[in-house]
Amino acid sequence: MKHLFKPLAVAAAAFCVPATTMAADWTPPGPITMMIGFAAGGGADTQARLIAQGIEEKYGWKILPKQVTGNSGLSLASELAAAPADGTAIGMVVSESLTYSALAADNPDLQLEKFTPLATTASFELGLVAMADGPFNTWDKTKAAGEAGDPIRFGVASDRQADVAYLFGKQAGIDFNIVPVKGGAGVMNGLRGGDLDIGFVAGAQSKAVQQGELVNIASGISTTLKDSPDAPMITDLGSAFSLDGYFMFIAPGDLDPAAREALGAAIEDVLNDPETEAHKLVSKGFGGADVITGEALDAKMQELLDNAAELLDAANAG
Amino acid sequence: MTEVLNYVWLGVLAVFQGPGLFTVLGVSIPAAPLMVVGGLLTGIAVGATPGLAGPMAMAISLPILISVFGFTPDAILPVFGFLLGIMKGATVGGAVPAILFNMPGTPDALMTTLDGYPMARKGQPRRALRIAQLSSVTGDTFSDLVLFVCAPFLAVFVEAYLDLPEKTALLILSISFIAAVMGASVGRGLLSVGLGLVAAFVGTGQALTPRLTGGVGGLADGFPLVSAILGVLILGEIFKGIEDLIAKGPKHRAEEAPEDVEGGDDLQPGDIGRIAPHVARGAVIGTIIGALPGVGSTLAATLSYTFGNRRHEKRRKPTQAAFGKGAPEGIASTEAANSAVSGANLIPVLSLGIPGNAAAVFLILAADSIGGFNPGPAVFNFTAPEVNPELVTAFGIFTLMAIGNLLNWTIGGWFMRSMGVLARVPGQILLPVVLLLTLTAIYVQETSLFALWVTFGFGVLGYLFRRSDVPVLPFVIAFILARPLEQTAREAFAATGGDPWFLFGSATSILFMAAAVGSVVVLSRK
Repeated sequence: MKHLFKPLAVAAAAFCVPATTMAADWTPPGPITMMIGFAAGGGADTQARLIAQGIEEKYGWKILPKQVTGNSGLSLASELAAAPADGTAIGMVVSESLTYSALAADNPDLQLEKFTPLATTASFELGLVAMADGPFNTWDKTKAAGEAGDPIRFGVASDRQADVAYLFGKQAGIDFNIVPVKGGAGVMNGLRGGDLDIGFVAGAQSKAVQQGELVNIASGISTTLKDSPDAPMITDLGSAFSLDGYFMFIAPGDLDPAAREALGAAIEDVLNDPETEAHKLVSKGFGGADVITGEALDAKMQELLDNAAELLDAANAG
Repeated sequence: MTEVLNYVWLGVLAVFQGPGLFTVLGVSIPAAPLMVVGGLLTGIAVGATPGLAGPMAMAISLPILISVFGFTPDAILPVFGFLLGIMKGATVGGAVPAILFNMPGTPDALMTTLDGYPMARKGQPRRALRIAQLSSVTGDTFSDLVLFVCAPFLAVFVEAYLDLPEKTALLILSISFIAAVMGASVGRGLLSVGLGLVAAFVGTGQALTPRLTGGVGGLADGFPLVSAILGVLILGEIFKGIEDLIAKGPKHRAEEAPEDVEGGDDLQPGDIGRIAPHVARGAVIGTIIGALPGVGSTLAATLSYTFGNRRHEKRRKPTQAAFGKGAPEGIASTEAANSAVSGANLIPVLSLGIPGNAAAVFLILAADSIGGFNPGPAVFNFTAPEVNPELVTAFGIFTLMAIGNLLNWTIGGWFMRSMGVLARVPGQILLPVVLLLTLTAIYVQETSLFALWVTFGFGVLGYLFRRSDVPVLPFVIAFILARPLEQTAREAFAATGGDPWFLFGSATSILFMAAAVGSVVVLSRK
């Protein structure tokens, strides 16, 4: 009986395997081009390259990173849309590229439904930041100065942040001078050089906040910040919107589900492995890995898309 | 003060404890100092080859270096090491064919031929080369020291006293000044700058749809920087060179100096004392001229030569050669001044992000391509306790320059004397080789054929510029400064609450704007 059972079990297992491990069997049909929508050398770029390195080491897949910057991630989106949907082309952007920016640009080829979200890597630890020893180092001081009619320079790194800042100021009764700059690094340089008074930074401020040079006077997201748990949320201070978002990987639309699952799992595996460089970077500089894949990611993207549509309506109306 | 010293120390460490190139007996050999050596030797060889110049070698090696070292912040110092090495080597090497064959190896060595070649004819080529090397390296070292001291102070001053509108006005002043001083006429300079700005505005901007692309997808993020710059500067030069070759036929390149030696052919006793005042004057003139963006080493060499000649004529003993007849003082005046330009030229680059010559253009291009180091006032934020990595890089660059000078003092002289043979490479071989290398280098970095077509397009533009006597460097500098200019102007406009007259809101910015207009008006009257 034992002799009969064993081959049967093997046979049964052989039938079951293809159904359950289709994703695990998936391998890319060639080298994977990883488009990076961020400037070379910055934090997000390093994150993408370390994830590529981790996947190469763990899975042996060849990954070719390349910079495709510009137009808030939409340059990358349009190049990715033209790439083959077989898992050999992926791109790293922020969630607002395919939500807020795609809606605002109003190009039907670059909307969320034309792409396949693969996995988020980390969520924004977005704070409203000021110099720790400056005159705007608490919200109360900022508000008092604003109400007294002092011009306050508010640095933002994207149109979405500019809209939120504008509506927030309107709600709080302050007419901010909203200054669009290049990325979170641009906001921090502006603060340090005295060109800006306050500004939104999506996580790059972490180290300077921990060392006491900068301060988060408020959280720009719908939870408190890990570095500054006592800072109020902007939604508590009168803002109707917050700036939640993620760094994430996307692929062209209609990607083979097995490829989607395998790529998402690979990214998750690398980010959650404490031994990888990617994990160490994300823990140190991005408030820890926050990986969402599959249907949960679809639901999250839809939620962000709905928020973006509301924000655009409100900003256009106001 | 301890803060500053700490940063200096971190910069030195970054060079010597940076990523290793290979290991010898278990000791990792840091890449950056070795790259300085490689760059310096390359630079001397390139400078000694008439028809090649430092910027050309920097242009070709940059994409190759980036593909070797990658886009990580660790790549900055090794890449800069090689480029600075070329820059320093080429200024020394340019004197070799000027002295031996009456052919300037680089354009700024033109004045060196006036006294260097007569000395070689008199059988003292070795002495002339030694004097050229000593003067050149002294000028360069002096200029670097001024850079090390001035760049941080200038940057801190700018950051502390200039607000966004003033920074915008300063950029406008720089571009106007460059248009006014470069080239045959102010009108041509302005044309060049204008076209550079227009080219840079393609694909950029803040709208979510790229502007001015004419529907070409490849232009969504603008013309590839490397393609545009190398096209105009290098391909344009090659196309012009090919045309000259066709027009004149392959010319006989090198004229040999006679071998007969009268008296000793090495440094004579008293030579150092004779040239010292000329070297000192040349170094100061070169440093002052170099700190002004766009003025260039040829003017520095000419000025220094003229002043040197005046002094020499007053004090010359009857036995000493007059300028133009083989005077060591002539070589010293020229070489000290044209070499002193290179260090001072980095003052506006590092403290303001404004390039003043072609070499500086390629340093900015390197920083821009690799990322993680953005030349400008923000580099010199002496943050504490958080270490500002860009400032460490800046002091690392200073360390590399000091290493380059030490090498130039020591092995530079020996190496340059063995480079005379390069003056005989014929143009019909040199030009195609440089063309092939340039295109390969661009393809290595951009990995797209579209980038090569863009390069060709800009090459034709560069050729047309040269044919119609329009200077190309203002085009390139405007192309590089266009984005910072637009960005700063937008920031200034927004920060002043949308004031359309933001450029005229303070005395400083009014002064800068007046100087911008003034430089164009005054210089067009000459």
